[in-house]
Amino acid sequence: MFTLDFISGLIGFILTLLIFSYLINDNPLFRMAVYLFIGAASGYAAAVVWQYLLAPQVSVVIYSEDLGEWLLAAIPLILGVSLLSKLSPKISSLGSVAMALFVGVGAATALGGAVLGTLVPQVGAAIGAIDVQADSGDAFAKLIEGGVMLAGTALTLAYFQFSAERAPDGTPKRNIVFEGIAGIGRLFIAITFGVLFAGVYMAALTAMIERLNAMVDFIRPWIGF
Amino acid sequence: MRVTAILTTALAMAAAFIVLLGFFFPVPALLELRAILTNWAMTIGGMAVFIGVLNLVAVHIGKIQKRQKGSGSGVILVFSLLSVFTYGVLFGVEDPLMQMTMNAVIAPVEAALMALLVVTLTYAGIRLLRWRGDLAAMLFLAVVVFFLAAIAPKPFDNGILDGLIVNVAGTIAQGGARGLLIGVALGALLTGLRVMFGIDRPYGGD
Repeated sequence: MFTLDFISGLIGFILTLLIFSYLINDNPLFRMAVYLFIGAASGYAAAVVWQYLLAPQVSVVIYSEDLGEWLLAAIPLILGVSLLSKLSPKISSLGSVAMALFVGVGAATALGGAVLGTLVPQVGAAIGAIDVQADSGDAFAKLIEGGVMLAGTALTLAYFQFSAERAPDGTPKRNIVFEGIAGIGRLFIAITFGVLFAGVYMAALTAMIERLNAMVDFIRPWIGF
Repeated sequence: MRVTAILTTALAMAAAFIVLLGFFFPVPALLELRAILTNWAMTIGGMAVFIGVLNLVAVHIGKIQKRQKGSGSGVILVFSLLSVFTYGVLFGVEDPLMQMTMNAVIAPVEAALMALLVVTLTYAGIRLLRWRGDLAAMLFLAVVVFFLAAIAPKPFDNGILDGLIVNVAGTIAQGGARGLLIGVALGALLTGLRVMFGIDRPYGGD
């Protein structure tokens, strides 16, 4: 009777009830469930990091007889350990080398990802949307659709243009044409966030239905319906 | 500028340039160097996760020792964290009990917290209407209501109107989302360049 599946279902059932108790009010039972979740998730993440990232490097440092391989594994581990110095303000500068390497590689990866993964494809897609020769569909409909999308992209970007001149009373004031363009951009952003909000809402609703179903499925055999 | 600061800035700039050159000029030597640096950064990131977890435990143990408010929940956090981590290190994350932790604790609580979003998002929508009655807020809420009505399952056929709402709102949202994405990418580009040229030194290179 007390199989691993049953115990798993029981714990899931109780924790879901504790989380849903937040609907009444913020209470100790809800906080207990959340703290248990944070602890378990952090422990799980740390175990995954250890097993897949650090343990292989540590085993190379312990067992490898090849100096090159040993150095490649030992240097990042030593740099990683030096990060512990960040916990104490007196010796925190010891971890700066590791942080510098991490930030440098991170910045370059983010930069490369932004250019090759977002900017180039998105600009290409924005141009492609109004390329009526690209496919054999209704050219006029495609032009309208692509035009609206392109306008949405341009006006949304224009909304975030905050350059302004100083008015006689000293307050910053945007050019009236730009103010109008930014105003239309704001409406595009409102519609975009509306659609995104609706998507998140549907996802949350789906999660709620799944949880309620799981709870009903768990107690169904006990109450006999 | 101290010597350490100059060294760390030079290291960050060199690492960034090598990794970036590897992106745009896929020469074998550069690619290999990029892979080594990326692996090192991943290991350092992994150690940073460890230090973060260690800090979380230290903060809660400190709260427990001082018997501060919420220290009872802190005991649960520390106990669950240490037990899951120790078991995971000893028996591996593929162990059935570790998988049970995922299925019984992490996944249900994540899904239940996501489900709570239904209530909080509804509440946020109502508050938005009360606090800000401008055109953008009205438009936002109208799109939410119409879009949800269009994509929700219904007992009657409303295909043409639903399709029209989804298409019109979807097309406009696609343009807007593309603008936001390009804006975010431009921001990332600028931030990356500032770090690459040593203008921003978040690693303590002052």
